Amino acid sequence: MRERFANGFDPFVIPFLIGMAFVLGYCIVAMIRVYFQLPKPDRKRFLVSLVTPRTAWKNIKDIFLNCLIHVKLWKRNKVLGYMHSSIAFGWFMIIVLGHLEVMLFVPERIHLFYYPIFFNYFVAETEQTLPGSLLMFLMDFFLLIILSGIVLAIIKRFASRIVGMRRTTRLSLMDRVGLYSLWAIFPLRLLAESFTAHISGGSFLTIPANWIFRQFLGNDLHALPTWWAYSIALCVFMCVLPFTRYMHIPAEMLLIPMRNAGIKIRHPRKGFALLEVYSCPACGVCIDACPMGVRKANCKDATVYLNRQLRRGNERRIAEISDKCLLCGKCSAVCQVGVEGPELRVAQRERRKYALTPDYGMIDAASLSQHLSDLPFCGPETAPVEGSVLYFAGCMTHLTPAIRRATTSLLDKAGLSWKMMDPDGGLCCGRPLMMAGRSETAQELIKKNVEIIRASGCNTLLLSCPICYKVFKEEYPLQGIRVVHHSVFFQELIAAGKLQVQHEDGLRLVWHDPCELGRGCGIYEQPRQALSAAADLVEAGRHHAESICCGGSLGSLSLGFEQRRPMTQNALKDLTVADPDQIVTGCPLCLATFSRYADRPVHDIAEILDGRS
Amino acid sequence: MVNRQPVISIIGAGIAGLEAARQLSALGYKPVLIEKAPVVGGHVAEWNRLFPDMSPSEDLTGPLRAQTAGVRTLLNTEVASINRLKDEYNLILSDGSSLLCQAVLFATGFHLFDASKKEEYGYGIYDRVITNRDLEAWFNHKDDRRIDHPKAVGFVHCVGSRDVKAGNAQCSKVCCITAIKEAIEIKEEFPDAEVYCFYMDLRLFGKKYEDFYIKAQRDYGIHFIRGRVSEVGEAVDGRVVVKAEDTLNGKPIKVTLDLLVLMAGIVCNPDAQHYAREIGVAVDDDGFLKSRNNVDAITESSRPGVFFAGSCTGAKTVPETLAEARSAALAIHQYLNKPR
Amino acid sequence: MDFGYQINPSSAVNLDQVDRRRYDALVRLSPDAATCMGCGSCSATCTSSAWSGMSVRKVLLGLQRGRDAEVNRMLSACMLCGKCTMVCPRGINTRQLILTLCRLDKNGEVVR
Repeated sequence: MRERFANGFDPFVIPFLIGMAFVLGYCIVAMIRVYFQLPKPDRKRFLVSLVTPRTAWKNIKDIFLNCLIHVKLWKRNKVLGYMHSSIAFGWFMIIVLGHLEVMLFVPERIHLFYYPIFFNYFVAETEQTLPGSLLMFLMDFFLLIILSGIVLAIIKRFASRIVGMRRTTRLSLMDRVGLYSLWAIFPLRLLAESFTAHISGGSFLTIPANWIFRQFLGNDLHALPTWWAYSIALCVFMCVLPFTRYMHIPAEMLLIPMRNAGIKIRHPRKGFALLEVYSCPACGVCIDACPMGVRKANCKDATVYLNRQLRRGNERRIAEISDKCLLCGKCSAVCQVGVEGPELRVAQRERRKYALTPDYGMIDAASLSQHLSDLPFCGPETAPVEGSVLYFAGCMTHLTPAIRRATTSLLDKAGLSWKMMDPDGGLCCGRPLMMAGRSETAQELIKKNVEIIRASGCNTLLLSCPICYKVFKEEYPLQGIRVVHHSVFFQELIAAGKLQVQHEDGLRLVWHDPCELGRGCGIYEQPRQALSAAADLVEAGRHHAESICCGGSLGSLSLGFEQRRPMTQNALKDLTVADPDQIVTGCPLCLATFSRYADRPVHDIAEILDGRS
Repeated sequence: MVNRQPVISIIGAGIAGLEAARQLSALGYKPVLIEKAPVVGGHVAEWNRLFPDMSPSEDLTGPLRAQTAGVRTLLNTEVASINRLKDEYNLILSDGSSLLCQAVLFATGFHLFDASKKEEYGYGIYDRVITNRDLEAWFNHKDDRRIDHPKAVGFVHCVGSRDVKAGNAQCSKVCCITAIKEAIEIKEEFPDAEVYCFYMDLRLFGKKYEDFYIKAQRDYGIHFIRGRVSEVGEAVDGRVVVKAEDTLNGKPIKVTLDLLVLMAGIVCNPDAQHYAREIGVAVDDDGFLKSRNNVDAITESSRPGVFFAGSCTGAKTVPETLAEARSAALAIHQYLNKPR
Repeated sequence: MDFGYQINPSSAVNLDQVDRRRYDALVRLSPDAATCMGCGSCSATCTSSAWSGMSVRKVLLGLQRGRDAEVNRMLSACMLCGKCTMVCPRGINTRQLILTLCRLDKNGEVVR
């Protein structure tokens, strides 16, 4: 082992140093900025979480598994998973091994930033010791891994279908610069190390390459320029990094601890929202996932493009993308870094200015409460008891009388005491307002509804609409009252033997997971269990968290009736891949939307259970 | 007359098909009627009385049936597929036979809109909600337990017509007058019943239609409410509660009814669309077959040798259908005698 | 035309003088608003109408007849529940229409 240069320096490291200084400086300033954009309580919560052992360990684990290994991507698409983790983890290992080499062989140089990166240029013959040859071997091994990832990346860019993506992101100019410099870094490193391998040593990759090159290259004059090129490629990549999608690398490392600290989006453009936007790697998984993507024109409205437009500050497009989204949440479900597409969009909607502010002052909650308490109970009891059910049908269920009828019939069959909160229509739950970005106004409705619910004396609030269910569960101060969706409620009644459901052999049903119930509230299994009691269950092509929105969602503000049709038809096509006899769902909006175009009966889960009990 | 006796197939033996067959026979041709039902007469045979004369539908279909008795009629037979040859069409029938013909007449008629698709109206959910077809069947046979001395009856116009959501933006044309006719008939059956008609616009364009309207208002006291029913609920006693806006008054209204009749609209027969696509005959964006033009070539298709009669090209009244059937017969006659 | 007398002039709508800028802006921003046929489905189904008399049909008519105060009163009562969008036979995106109108000032300009 010997150092080739006494001063341990060569001008070719300067580009690398410039790039490194720039990117580090930029990231530190950006991190501080994001931190100070957080509201004060969030800042405190973040700092506390950093020193709490449990969250601190989770942070380390999550950063390792997500940023380096890309576990979530592996689960989704093995080729893409390999591609990303090979580059990220391989690069990480090369940096770590580089430092190890420096520490092992020239510990006095460890303060030099560039030494681990260009170790093979400055230090020679390290492969002649056992640890040296092992490290050299590992270096070549990880370089090979990275290069295989780069090959996949090039294939993905030009033929995304080969790696299992229907569509991939259209790159911006800066992203292209970043991409090409990234692609250049590792082949250049291989070349540079190969050219010096007969001096500095190498392993199974670099030594044979060196031998081949030496067959037709007469001298070593090309070695230094290649090291220069390697350094320049690194410089270019690091200098453009903040302006490209590769900003996701540093951003995600801050996003993960902040998310683990429980921080949420509080401002449409600052703090955590900003961090999410920069954490988007523009991988494009959300493009294929988006139910609007059925129409090619809508592909540019996927979350990846929202993030890009937010970075660019293109207000017209931000508004357009934010308003169009169905808020089905599928992009979040598939996102590798956990960018919350729907929440980001709602935050943008909340920013909007209005000339008119809603005012629900004329709604007299007191008289509605009185009216509800005067209403007699159906069932055995005349006064509210433990277990009395208040059934809130909600706005949409009034347009699907079959749901309302089946639900009340099942309550009777189970021998429960119940009354209906809105027999002649009630107040809206407030969720549609929240989706439109008017949560403050929604609070007014929430207050009134809480008053009415409390007046009923019931301690179970039953909902047949997942839109209502989500908001009642999450936003309503209803301590002491159980908020439950009818699919869960009836499943429990069946399990407890209070509802007897006859199994109809040979009837094949498919369950459609409504967005608000599945991804929104995490309810997937109970409706399936309840339905299995009534008939045979088959699955849709995409189900559970990957279920496709029916297209009727209230989340979208701007999609027109005709524009939604292909989305519904696409969702139906996917639901019927196993050729079920009937389609079953648990949302009045899904029911009405699917019924329009379905080629077979569409029912609510309550109808199915009521018809067989 | 042409040398060889040409074959003319008529798909559908409703009143359009029967009338065309009758006219073609009179011109000396031997048409073939293909009917998928076990009887001829189509929708009109299921109807009780016809506006505007209140004549029994049997008065129309009876003679038509009698005068086409000699026409070769294939009942319970569907067209499985159609092939277009040079100047000829080959029909493969559901019994496996094939029929080579020089002219095809689409008399495929319409389908009544499936009222259960408008779930908010509760057809198939509430017992007291029926359709216009159910009511005509009751007029004919008087056996329907859903109709039991109603004291309050409502008619909902435009169910599945003028409704983009139902996939039919167009007007079904005959429902307004049918609703008024049926309202009068209900009133004749149950004189003490209150009868309400919920309409969006009353389109009473035909001969004597306005007289019907006046009669309904003056002689029968039928209530006309300008407002589309938005939802139908159920009262505790099982009657149905209808919600609409009385748009002339600008106030929401609610009425409890013993019987609600949905005036299901006219949509194109999906079989006709299927056949048309097979032989490259254009289908219009409303789902009906597309005439060569909508002014002077309604009975002609975009293909030589293919003709239309009746409601396969859009909602039609009975007299319009009969007139088109005659016109189509003449058009076929001219087509077959055109020097080639 | 002068009849020599007047009957409560404020109740008659003079189309010559109605300021339709807000309506015109609305139709520009969401063109399907112009296709309303006044069937009243939206009014009958409206969750808010029991308290406020809210009706998309009346809002659209009111805008074209210069009844701005009434229109604003109705609009501010909307809960955006989406029932009117569900029932509209013309498939008008009424929620978007209402949100668009709430963003327009009396001159028909989008507030920023």
